[in-house]
Amino acid sequence: MRIVFKQVSKNFGFIDALKDIDFEIKSGEFAFLFGPSGSGKSTIIKLILSQITPSSGQITIGKHQLSTIGKKDIDSVRKKVGIIFQNYQLIPDRSIEENIALSLDITSHPKDKIQSKVDEVIKKVNLTTRRLLYPSQLSGGELQRASLARALAINPEIILADEPTGNLDRQNSWNLVKLLKDINQKHHCTILMATHDVDIVKSLNKKIIHLQNGRIVKSKKI
Amino acid sequence: MATFKATWHHIRRSPFQSLTAIFIMIICFLIMSFYALTSHGLSAVLQYFETRPEVTIFIKDGLDQNTVESLQKELAGYPDVKEIRFISKEKALDIYKEQNKDNPLLTEMVTASILPASFEVSVSDPAILSQIAQNFSAKTDMIDEIIYQKDIIQNMLIWTAFIRKIGLIIALCTVTVTFFIISIIIGMKITNRKDEIRISRLLGASKFYVKKSFLLEGVTYGLLGSLLGSGITFSTILYFKNNINVYFQPINFVSSDPNFYAVILLAQVLFGILVGYLASWIGVKRYIKY
Repeated sequence: MRIVFKQVSKNFGFIDALKDIDFEIKSGEFAFLFGPSGSGKSTIIKLILSQITPSSGQITIGKHQLSTIGKKDIDSVRKKVGIIFQNYQLIPDRSIEENIALSLDITSHPKDKIQSKVDEVIKKVNLTTRRLLYPSQLSGGELQRASLARALAINPEIILADEPTGNLDRQNSWNLVKLLKDINQKHHCTILMATHDVDIVKSLNKKIIHLQNGRIVKSKKI
Repeated sequence: MATFKATWHHIRRSPFQSLTAIFIMIICFLIMSFYALTSHGLSAVLQYFETRPEVTIFIKDGLDQNTVESLQKELAGYPDVKEIRFISKEKALDIYKEQNKDNPLLTEMVTASILPASFEVSVSDPAILSQIAQNFSAKTDMIDEIIYQKDIIQNMLIWTAFIRKIGLIIALCTVTVTFFIISIIIGMKITNRKDEIRISRLLGASKFYVKKSFLLEGVTYGLLGSLLGSGITFSTILYFKNNINVYFQPINFVSSDPNFYAVILLAQVLFGILVGYLASWIGVKRYIKY
């Protein structure tokens, strides 16, 4: 599933959060949204998820043009997107297993296959022994892997990762990036990862959309 | 299944709010069931009097046998007269003694001479009673007093209507209070779970998906509250059934018909579900806006 931004701007009152953003991420491509805090990375992620609407311009996700689709289609687009957040966004009073099962239930996964799918992704992110624990009982690295497992469970066509390494130590950050790279290679799903970590961006030979003050300053493949 | 699980999860995770919701529903249906049973009992009392068309004609003292017989003949001449019973002074005394057998002081003071003789007239068509009462009340030289069931029924109608109105007002007030409390409790639960709702929406859950577990929660409160409230009232009333029915003898104030209780229970459960659903719907509509 491709992501296309055409002349997208977003204002919050007098503040220009994004100005004339143009980029295209092809289906199956891995791209970084790179830039310092406040550069507009999270705004782009929010626009893709239709949490906010652009002030001007067009956003296309797969075949859907977000400015023209209805609420039902927004839900169906979201069902094809796996999301990973810096602060994990796991439901605190549900176990890791239940958090993953919830996303499968939302995406109307067959009821009798939910458990096997949960088992599969939990094994993939190496959280088998932590499956019955609650988010508060897990470390940062484990939480981010649980978040990745939830994203992977729905067989997403796009994975959006908003500063996923922001709360992780070096080792866990590298492990997560490696996992994302493997998923991109094996499943050919489009991955857009927002980060301000220059080492991570340089370590992979992937497309970079470099943002500063809401504008693209560079967009290239290293 | 996931919705039931989510609903159970919501109930379990905020037990005091859930218990308050169930408790208020129980109180509401305790009052409603009590109102339904009392209303039915009052109907039984009314029906008892309505189906016993009777007029009692007290005759004046000192009438000779011929006059009494001519009165009896006149009464027998009316159509649809089922039975005419003449209660002589002596018989009236016997009845009085029987009624007051536990209080010898009252019976000692009374003799047959101070009690009036009377005719008790039963008819098959209640319409004829007013005609008899009207015609005989004109015979002031022979008739002392006429007691006509219509007066009793009219008084009872006024009282039962009053009791029913008061009961209905109390029941409506309780339902309204319950409705708002459930709606507020559901709203509080939604506020407590706003992160869960937001995350679910980001994962692609439709608005209905996130709403349905809260709607089911309201329905659960309605179902449990109506079942428990009705159950407690029914078992209490049935436990005291004999005592109550002895007091209202020969009327069966408390019904023994299981079908009657089944119908009331079904109606209350359906009403409970409706109240729970509508209250949670209001709560959900008010609080889920994202």
